[in-house]
Amino acid sequence: MTTYASPIGSSLKRVDGPGKISGLEKYAADYYPDNFLWAGAKRSDHPHALIKEIDISPVRNLPGIFAVLTHEDIKGANRVGVPEMDQPVLADRKVRYKGDPVVLVLAENKTVLQEAIDKIVIKYEPLPAVFDPEAALAENAPLLHENRNDKNLLLGGRVVRGNSIAAMSECDAVAEADFQLPWQEHAYLETEAGVARVDEEGILAIIASTQTPWRDRNELAYALGWPLDKIRVIAPYLGGGFGGKDGITVQGLLGLAALHSGGRPVKMWNSREESFLSSTKRHPGRVHYELGCKKDGTLYAMNCRIVLDTGAYASLGGPVLALAMEHAAGVYRIPHALIEGFSVYTNNPVGGAFRGFGAPQVLAGLEQMMDILADKIAWDPLAFRLKNAVMRGDETGAGVWMSNSTAIIPCLEKLQEHPLWTSRQAWVSQAPPFKLRGVGIAAGLQGTGYGPMVADIANAKIELLPDGRFRIYSGVADMGQGNNPTNVQIAAEVLGQTADCFELIQPDTLQTLPSGSSAASRTTYSYGNALKAAALQLKERILTRACNMGMGLYAEDFLLSSGRLNHLPSGREIPLGLVAASMRPEERVSIYSYTAPVNRYPDKINPDIRAAGFPHRVFAFACHLARVQIDELTGEVEISDYLAATDAGKVLNPQLYEQQVQGGAVQGMGYALWEDFKLDRGELMTRNLATYILPTSMDVPDILSIAVESVEESGPFGMKGIGEIVINLALPAIANGIARAVGQHIFKSPLTAEQLLLILEKRAAE
Amino acid sequence: MKIAFELNGIKQEIDYLPDRRVVDLLREELGYTGTKEACGSGECGACTILVDGVSKLSCLMLAAQLQGRSITTIEGMSPGKKLHPIQQAFVDKGAVQCGFCSPGMLMATVDLLQRNPAPDRQQIRAALSGNLCRCTGYQKIIDAVESAAAEMRDKL
Amino acid sequence: MSQVFLPHTLEELWTIKQENPAALIMAGGTDLLVKIRDRKLPPAVILALENIAELRQIERQDGEICIGSMVTHQQLLDSPIIQTQLPVLHQAVAVLGSPPIRHMGTIGGNICTASPAGDTLPPLYVLNAGLELKNAATSRLLPIQDFIQGPGQTLLGSNEILYKIRISIPAPHSQGFYFKVGQRKALAIAICSMASLLQFAEDKRILEGRFAWGSTGPTVMRFPEVENTLIGEKLSPIILGRLGQSMAALVSPISDVRASAEYRRLLASKLPLKIWQSLI
Repeated sequence: MTTYASPIGSSLKRVDGPGKISGLEKYAADYYPDNFLWAGAKRSDHPHALIKEIDISPVRNLPGIFAVLTHEDIKGANRVGVPEMDQPVLADRKVRYKGDPVVLVLAENKTVLQEAIDKIVIKYEPLPAVFDPEAALAENAPLLHENRNDKNLLLGGRVVRGNSIAAMSECDAVAEADFQLPWQEHAYLETEAGVARVDEEGILAIIASTQTPWRDRNELAYALGWPLDKIRVIAPYLGGGFGGKDGITVQGLLGLAALHSGGRPVKMWNSREESFLSSTKRHPGRVHYELGCKKDGTLYAMNCRIVLDTGAYASLGGPVLALAMEHAAGVYRIPHALIEGFSVYTNNPVGGAFRGFGAPQVLAGLEQMMDILADKIAWDPLAFRLKNAVMRGDETGAGVWMSNSTAIIPCLEKLQEHPLWTSRQAWVSQAPPFKLRGVGIAAGLQGTGYGPMVADIANAKIELLPDGRFRIYSGVADMGQGNNPTNVQIAAEVLGQTADCFELIQPDTLQTLPSGSSAASRTTYSYGNALKAAALQLKERILTRACNMGMGLYAEDFLLSSGRLNHLPSGREIPLGLVAASMRPEERVSIYSYTAPVNRYPDKINPDIRAAGFPHRVFAFACHLARVQIDELTGEVEISDYLAATDAGKVLNPQLYEQQVQGGAVQGMGYALWEDFKLDRGELMTRNLATYILPTSMDVPDILSIAVESVEESGPFGMKGIGEIVINLALPAIANGIARAVGQHIFKSPLTAEQLLLILEKRAAE
Repeated sequence: MKIAFELNGIKQEIDYLPDRRVVDLLREELGYTGTKEACGSGECGACTILVDGVSKLSCLMLAAQLQGRSITTIEGMSPGKKLHPIQQAFVDKGAVQCGFCSPGMLMATVDLLQRNPAPDRQQIRAALSGNLCRCTGYQKIIDAVESAAAEMRDKL
Repeated sequence: MSQVFLPHTLEELWTIKQENPAALIMAGGTDLLVKIRDRKLPPAVILALENIAELRQIERQDGEICIGSMVTHQQLLDSPIIQTQLPVLHQAVAVLGSPPIRHMGTIGGNICTASPAGDTLPPLYVLNAGLELKNAATSRLLPIQDFIQGPGQTLLGSNEILYKIRISIPAPHSQGFYFKVGQRKALAIAICSMASLLQFAEDKRILEGRFAWGSTGPTVMRFPEVENTLIGEKLSPIILGRLGQSMAALVSPISDVRASAEYRRLLASKLPLKIWQSLI
């Protein structure tokens, strides 16, 4: 009998490692089917214009061109999106941003594809365009979508608690500031890609780099007018996603191409430039805060106004706003609060899902407000946060009930006792010549799952194979975070197996079961719960069958181990293959459907905001610390040390947990300091990785991670989602550190070296 | 144009367009899709291969330049069944998340450890600075390279 | 499809050049192929110089160092001659691009690209580098600041190549510095850069000070009239700060997607103090 250590809680190696590091794992971009055609889009070079004429005659007979398609070739509704289906696969009457696809070309090779795209002539009648969300809310602003009652307002609403206007005047100290947040590009390394084909039976099969195979299928059926049961979407491992593949990217165009390719496979793979042009981004926004407290350090009133630029199409601009509002009071009890939110259409690129989903924008503002206000009443910023932080059972200032595990206070206490915090004054005073130092902290939270009005369901499926091994049918795409390798760990724990006893099927609408998106910090939480139950059910079946077969009297006398069943009283070993052989195929498959709990309270929230996902029930918490050093001669910021204390429940795998903490923090550092996505009247200025600056290995420090393990009783083995909380706090922690070094807060991010040096110079001149 | 070169130790003689990029030759013509492309302009390192043992960017090389050269791609890193110690360290230390940067990172690491078998963390960071990763924050990649270097030194 | 030529000798090169006068010369490809991809250059016959062995040598002849135009940045970085004799150039290539870019890109390519942000240029300006240009029949020598005329513009003749870079070894008691501000620490294009070569007397007074500025005008810039004000002075933050102020008034930066003119000018005024920062 093999000795056997419990996989849960151990750093079990990811089973996807060997395939990926040997170059053998096939991503969507790696498929080159026999006899395939390249597909590519001609995109709008106007931010807002009526399409007057599409002239494809110059390319119709170009050698190597297989087909040239416009909206007229689309049989369905030609609209994708969720929850609002407002984005055309190919623009029909008008274009709404520079980058809107208008014509789709199918060609034998990339060279002739590009030639055709260049030669197609589209005549436009330019329309007045609007690039600023505040301007888009004005009475006579140009309308993006003409027939909407709310005009350019995609979603708006308010959350009111107490009377914040009156309460503000009762505060002993009040701080007010207006924060400007930039777009953030996901910049996953694998740009949008896929292949598609319609087979002899009329099945449209798409292999795509997508976080949402199930939703894609629904949208494609509607948009392209192809029967749902004749669409199959497969999601291999993604080369990164971060929310940018939460929904249709190339799938609509690919599906359309495949319906017009005479049965030949088609392939799309966006260049980096096209990816920047056409993909969704983190919503830029303006967040205005007024925050007041009593002189004993108690937060008392908050006013917050959030305006998000959702760009030309809805995408997830509604839910992102709802989450921004839900997280706007952070981890604090505030009795009087008013939170107003607006998600607004403009002729800019589309804002969509991005790790954090609205929380990074508001926490960037709120957590700087906490420092400003603490300074006003001469409180230590950490003590000020501790004083006001929620405990389980409390409500946040946004009226969100902390019904489940809530360990923000232990996170803050971990920071408080850490040398990076306790020795901060000495460290700051030892700054070398021409350097300024500061230490900043920030605290925050992140909701898990889809909120109260969209059922968060995962359907797990696991099979005992005839040879005694197991196959897990992963229902949720793995964009790199390792949720599917973690499925092995969960099943291994329940079934007493080692990792090599499993094979994994990646999401495939034909083979696996609908289990929602790879998003919202819910992949392992929801699917893990379903899989754990499915595996348990299968285990019971195996043990019962062994008793049926006369191998023992009681199920509890058996122990499952790698590939076998041990009958403890007799010491007999029974190969699992033998048990499998006595089971019918349907018995060897176990399915379990799990629905995540929701927060039904409070129902007094504005119904539109509630429908968009406000509020959540399960939250992860964190507190980050950044030590920053600024070069007075250049304004360059160096992050010298970085610490993250995180409550994401019990840690299933310390290595994967750290992967999230480190990667998320660095993506947040990019958001804080370098990633300055620039547009000029709808035109991309930072159009590739040469001008949109991602941090390299030289730019970031090692990150210290402290896991504060609360037990989340609703999560599998006590875990909560770790995927998003990790990105939310880098910007405010770094900004607070910079403010302490420079002596003033900077409200426009990213906090570039340029901005800093100009501020330092101005301060020196004063 | 006829191009003769060695790919992962195997002699190749192919007829290919001389002005096509090496990354296209590898992926589209020869089916070696382990070499990734993520920017096409030398800004990310995903397409890194070894040319005569030196790390270079296959998106900024033309097929004709391979004439007479010996190149190694990720598929040639561990010819046998056993992983190369650097690959093993990447798996063991959790250096892989989405994995799309990994082949390029590994090629860059081979180049580094040939030049400097005992790099410190700062030197590792410098050596991998041409390879962008959007998932890991680099830390576990640095851990893996550090560990692989030690392992390979022990074997010498 | 376009042809790609990879001659092994200069003789082969001249023949190909004669037959393909419009051929684009590729000296590493890290700029050229990006420009073709971005459609800033049309596809054309390509003439790659990488196989010509005599262009890949670094030699020391008496008081002069000769660098073949196809010497890669990595070769410069690995060369003890460059490290010991031309540290200002060594410092610059250490922060150029990234390792694979340094393995491919060449000094000749960096010069002929003639970008004001090119990392080898400010060092070559302060080193008073001479460029040996060669055609099938003859060769000529031009100072680098005469050769480069503007962004992407040089005096390279259509039948010529850049053959060698000739640099006199700086006088004893010289110290070289290169500072670059980019948007990040690697894979960075200079927003402002400065090379400096200071020659000191026994009593630590400055005998000669040369400064060249990158990314602050259409070409790398030097201002001899300001440099001369250093003669006889000892290094101090005051002197360097004053020098920066004077330089900042003379540079002519532009605003682009990477930085504003205002920031570049401010950096130009501060970079001399980096010398002080690096010495203390």
